[in-house]
Amino acid sequence: MSSRIWSLVKKEFIHLVNDWWLPLFMLLGGATELLLVGWATSRPITNLPLVVLDQDRSSASRAFIAQVENTGTFRTAEEASDLDEIHDELRRGDVTAAIVIPPDYADKLLDSQAQPEVAVLLNGAESIPATAGLRAIEGVVRAVGDELLLETLSVPEEELSGFVPRLRVWFNESLSEALYTTPAELGLMLEFTVLLFAALAFSRERELGTLEQLLVMPFSSMELIIGKSIPVVIIGFTDFLLMLGMVHFVFGVPVRGSLPLLLVLALIYLLVELCKGLVISVMSRSQHQAFLLVMMVGMADFMFTGYAAPVESMPQLLQAAANLVPAHHWMEILRGILLKASGIEVLWPHIMALVALGLLVGGFSIRYVRRALD
Amino acid sequence: MTGPEAVICLEEIGRDFKDTHAVRDLTVTIYRGDLFGLVGPDGAGKTTTLRLLAGLLSVTSGSGKVNELDLGSQAEKIKPQIGYMAQRFSLYANLTVEENLNFFADIYHVERGKIPARMEELLEFAGLQDFRSRRAEHLSGGMQKKLALACTLIHEPQILLLDEPTTGVDPISRREFWRILTNLHLRGTTIVVSTPYMDEADRCSRVGLIVEGRLAACDTPERIKKRLDAEVIKVYPETWELARNLKVDLPGVLEMQTYGDALHILVDSAEKRVGQIEKFYRKHKVPLRSIRAAPVRMEEVFISTIRNLGNEPDRDAISEATQEA
Amino acid sequence: MSFRTIAAVTRKEIHHILRDRATFILVLLAPTILLFLMAYAVTTDIKDVPIAVLDRDQSSLSRQFVERITAGEDLQLKASVQDMDEIESLLQRGQIKAAVVIDPSFSSDLVGMRGMPVLIIIDGTEPESGSFAVEHVGWRAEEFVYAALADQLQSMGLSSDSMAPVDLRVRAWYNPGLKPRVDVIPGLLSMVMGFPALSVALTLAHEREHGTLEQLLASPVRRTELIIGKMVPYVLVGMANVIFLPLLAVLWFKVPFNGNFLLFFFLSVIFLFSILSLGVVVGVFMRTQAAALALSFLLIFFPGFFMTGIFFPIASMPEMMRMEALGLPGTHYAIITRSAFLTAVGLDVLWPYVVMMAFLGVAFTSVAALFFKKRLA
Repeated sequence: MSSRIWSLVKKEFIHLVNDWWLPLFMLLGGATELLLVGWATSRPITNLPLVVLDQDRSSASRAFIAQVENTGTFRTAEEASDLDEIHDELRRGDVTAAIVIPPDYADKLLDSQAQPEVAVLLNGAESIPATAGLRAIEGVVRAVGDELLLETLSVPEEELSGFVPRLRVWFNESLSEALYTTPAELGLMLEFTVLLFAALAFSRERELGTLEQLLVMPFSSMELIIGKSIPVVIIGFTDFLLMLGMVHFVFGVPVRGSLPLLLVLALIYLLVELCKGLVISVMSRSQHQAFLLVMMVGMADFMFTGYAAPVESMPQLLQAAANLVPAHHWMEILRGILLKASGIEVLWPHIMALVALGLLVGGFSIRYVRRALD
Repeated sequence: MTGPEAVICLEEIGRDFKDTHAVRDLTVTIYRGDLFGLVGPDGAGKTTTLRLLAGLLSVTSGSGKVNELDLGSQAEKIKPQIGYMAQRFSLYANLTVEENLNFFADIYHVERGKIPARMEELLEFAGLQDFRSRRAEHLSGGMQKKLALACTLIHEPQILLLDEPTTGVDPISRREFWRILTNLHLRGTTIVVSTPYMDEADRCSRVGLIVEGRLAACDTPERIKKRLDAEVIKVYPETWELARNLKVDLPGVLEMQTYGDALHILVDSAEKRVGQIEKFYRKHKVPLRSIRAAPVRMEEVFISTIRNLGNEPDRDAISEATQEA
Repeated sequence: MSFRTIAAVTRKEIHHILRDRATFILVLLAPTILLFLMAYAVTTDIKDVPIAVLDRDQSSLSRQFVERITAGEDLQLKASVQDMDEIESLLQRGQIKAAVVIDPSFSSDLVGMRGMPVLIIIDGTEPESGSFAVEHVGWRAEEFVYAALADQLQSMGLSSDSMAPVDLRVRAWYNPGLKPRVDVIPGLLSMVMGFPALSVALTLAHEREHGTLEQLLASPVRRTELIIGKMVPYVLVGMANVIFLPLLAVLWFKVPFNGNFLLFFFLSVIFLFSILSLGVVVGVFMRTQAAALALSFLLIFFPGFFMTGIFFPIASMPEMMRMEALGLPGTHYAIITRSAFLTAVGLDVLWPYVVMMAFLGVAFTSVAALFFKKRLA
């Protein structure tokens, strides 16, 4: 049996070499894409356009603006001459935030009975940078408040512990964005690569009419499945290693847990997605169809990877559904091993779930594919 | 009276692929009204030659002209004037017979008013009237080829390029196909058809023997056969194995070819040698079922030509043909 | 260029599409399904973030503090723990996203006005939840401090109000609550609208793989006629989506539509032309459908998702990536959709983006026409 499988695998690799664009994209494309996307999105939100109307022009107001600029979230503030200009820039979407400092800012600041009214206008049409900008400004305000409070209470500095809670960040001390975006992007890329590749397995042969040919040959359907799967697994796993290397060496994502464990689990995850892909490939009558199905399944899974929103915040029903999505468990495992140094003791629920799902999906898909092929 | 008009001129044309010369130094002139057969074994370069003529491949050496238009630089102008039928089924499987015909009518800008009549004519021509609403994928192999032919004819081209139009088709459809081609030929269409079938070569007005990308012979079928300068004796042995390896080493025997369970022996004169050969086999204890003279066919010429190709290409034969024509 | 030929090619393509029923439905519905799935993924408001509390003070003041910060839906008190090890274990397992540690000197420091010794630990692998927790705790803590110190401050002649140094009047234009769903959904819409480009990339490669291209190439069909004819059905699908998807966004997701729909429709058609041309470029260069779909995924889908400024602001990208983003039609179209839904600005503001899309469309079509030879080889 193994020699027959081997001949199948050889044939698949010959196909691959002939249409060498495909493996090129699968291998290098994934890693390159990850590099580019990672590079683009793994910085903190910064360089946002800011416009300021400083009607006070005091050292206090200038200090305030300087502090806002120093947060790094904004680029150097542009000065506006009047409110109309600000409204126009907001309308055009040229600024993320506009700060209007009233003429009595410094006076009211020092006056303990009064507060200056500082207006912040945000471009809500891009809420993500706007929110980041707002947080930065609020942070500055709080810092100023803290200083003032300390001055007013005139407590000697050594005895102070500040009125703002201290912050400690675990697993990601530098709060490097790359550490949480790139693993997620890696997971997504890997899933799509394996799914796409596997989904082409049988749908391509069916569309071009060569499936009939294969079926009359003395392969058992199991041998066909294995023969088709081996190239996908090899390329998928190589791709994973490439991408892992990439995020590690280029983006500084550590591997704090056990690397061998990660590789084994990656292989298991790969096999689960492979089975999904095979089902799609047998269901589809054409490559086009398979492709569209993969896109939708992949994006559905995306929802559960926690990239866009934490799963805990989703309605109960969706949270329960998340447990049935292999990608969800895989993301937890990936993040756990890379960043939290989690071992089996911590990850075992996810591992169990992944294995269970794997057996379920695998068993179903093998039966389904065999039935479809026979 | 002016001589026949040269419609296609190929001048030492060549086409290379990565590691092979598919076609090289091919020189031939095809005249208006010719039914030109391009004959050769698999991989000889027939498809490449037709694709070059159809403007589907770029020319890597030499040049060619179709209707005075240059293949290298004016291929797009040539395309409206020709009809090309690819070897592989190249029509739209999930479109019906009518839809396929209409599509090609449109892209060849056939005068709209003429289309319905033309379609009817073609459907009848090809025997597809009852199948007009059937999807092309549900037609038999023979019908598919006929449909493909109909699609190439929809714009009434003066030049037809057909790549192995009868390969993979049942014998009856094959005959019908040639009936159609002969009809077209009689109407004055210039046809270049490639075929691996030797008997079809006999039906052409001129034949070009193409081997390993080169034209080994180019003339009317009769003249090609005559050039062999030999006659054929067909031998049917009782037991094939005995006769197979026995070389008939007699004077006047030019060549031996095998055909299934028969041997074809090329001799200088059938009358003279028949008896001698019969005696020879008897001497060597090889009983024969029958032995007799037979007319020379393209097959024999072909095999003989290929064999002799190792020595020198039949240049004289080719230049003779071009001069006479 | 012959209208008749283009119409013939279009008619043929439509036949192909319609006759593969399953694929047709997918092509038509994929954008809707994708929008649906992704909208839910990205517009989940963060709430019920699980946290743990380690109260080393155990005073009435500290208990009040804990109540303050866990009131409401934002943070959910998952566990009251006794030591840091427990916190570590819970964070490791992902069962909490943040922890609040209250020092034993909490109430004494507060009363003595020396400060508020509180430590927040967050899971850095999920900054969304983490920074949300920090924000929330910080904000509630601030309120708490001022409330707790109200008496002392009064005796000094200060009101707790005046302790906030600056009164920030925040107004978010177009999206008063700064809710991501309001602007991300139009962004997603711009992304899924380009989905038909993936199918366009396949159609040329499909003809190549099935051998039908040969017959076409031997005919007098011109390259641009072929390309345009193949794009038209997908433009039609796109236009159907331009009408349907905003309806979905407005009626189901309650996103406002403040702009001019007619203008939006017209600009969307320009976008369709632009993105479909990109699909054609992919299709021209790839011999097989498999390669075409892989490349279109890498070049159109993935960047369309991450690099068009929908989630991550373009201003924050490194210079080179910003340039790349500009080369994607989706980047400009995202601005246009956001304007259609939210900012309602007109061509006087939008014209640069329109010009860019049109330019990209022409550029891509030219590249495609240049490299698509009417020869097999």
